[in-house]
Amino acid sequence: MVIEMNIVFFSTNDVFAGEDRLKDKQINCKIVPTPVTDKAYCGVCIETDNEDAIEALEDMEFNVIRKGA
Amino acid sequence: MIYFDNAATTKYKPETVIKAFVDYTRNVGVSPGRGSYSLGIDASRKLYQVRKSVGKYFGLGDLTNVVFTKNSTEAINLFFCGYLNKGDHVLITCYEHNSVLRPLQSMQDKGMIDYSIISREDLLLPAKQILDKYCKTNTKVLAVTLASNLTGRIVFSRDLFAEAKKHDITTFLDSSQGAGKIHISMEADKIDYLAFTGHKDLMGLPGTGGLCCKEKDKIVPLLQGGTGILGNEYVNPKAFPEGLEAGTLNMPAIWALGSAINYVSEHMEENQLKERHLVDTLLKELNEMGSVTIYDNEFERVSTIGINIEGHTSDEVVKYLDDNDVCVRGGIHCAILAHEALNTVSTGVVRISLSPSNTEEEIFRFIELIKKM
Repeated sequence: MVIEMNIVFFSTNDVFAGEDRLKDKQINCKIVPTPVTDKAYCGVCIETDNEDAIEALEDMEFNVIRKGA
Repeated sequence: MIYFDNAATTKYKPETVIKAFVDYTRNVGVSPGRGSYSLGIDASRKLYQVRKSVGKYFGLGDLTNVVFTKNSTEAINLFFCGYLNKGDHVLITCYEHNSVLRPLQSMQDKGMIDYSIISREDLLLPAKQILDKYCKTNTKVLAVTLASNLTGRIVFSRDLFAEAKKHDITTFLDSSQGAGKIHISMEADKIDYLAFTGHKDLMGLPGTGGLCCKEKDKIVPLLQGGTGILGNEYVNPKAFPEGLEAGTLNMPAIWALGSAINYVSEHMEENQLKERHLVDTLLKELNEMGSVTIYDNEFERVSTIGINIEGHTSDEVVKYLDDNDVCVRGGIHCAILAHEALNTVSTGVVRISLSPSNTEEEIFRFIELIKKM
């Protein structure tokens, strides 16, 4: 079961740094508008269905919002 | 027209720089870090790419530790006002531009900090001796210009910065003069913070500059306002670099800066050789004229020379040359400390500052005109 997730950051710079890192590791992702949550993050985020993304970004400051299956 | 005022701004820009500005303005045209529509994401990605290019160019460890400002004056003010605390002492040289002197003087006048100036003579001392002489227990920052905007002398010393790090002093480089002419690596050269401007020898457009930071979390914002992120907070968020970039960035010019940095990097060696030849030619001719005083003649320099001509005030020389279609700058050059060190406050100085767009023919035309004075 593939679960899409949004990886959200506080800094727009980090979104693209994250994108760079995922692309380097050949993890499929795209930049999309950040879904509305109870907390305000940067207006764009990374969307991916690859769990490896979380490990790839581990030293960065982010949160993960998982969408329904 | 002969343009010899490149230390003020480079008049002639590479075609790729102009093309990038036009391209962004026509085909993107939106602000980064604001809208989350595709075009906005493209703009944000382009901003990130230029940040990386700047970080790479200046040898930053973390490539995107770059805060964009509208010029180096703003970057310098951001650093001093955001980094220094009450009671700190700052060490500068006698060649610092007013953009370094004035914020420090202003902070000293308010009783916040004090600063000391390394004299022209003492700059010749070994690094350890300089710091032994000038450092205090509360010395927090050593701020040095890469080169003098008045005489062209290369002031930055790797030895001095390395010695400062042994004293746990934060090192700051104002690279406004020379960033496009001298290879600098913040990591290798022990530079903790670096201010740059886009429109001088980086060959970019006015309205761009920035502060490169070894560490992210040490600076308080200069401007409070919209940052494009965390808009629910009542003050700038602590996010870096956005928290230090309130207001809309000059993105067309920043995109053009990316092209400028690519251009300067690709052509650095050939430009260095060309400028070296032009400066050597000019110095040789000027040195043969008994009536010309060349300041800091004996020092290694960027392609800037400051002179005075016996029997003529600096403004007379500027006017005469302008009447003959040659642009040079005279007067104080926003460098009062250097003038005090060189004893040229009352005379001013005529500054000739070259770029790779200048030619040998222009040098000889200039010399011919000076000889006729």
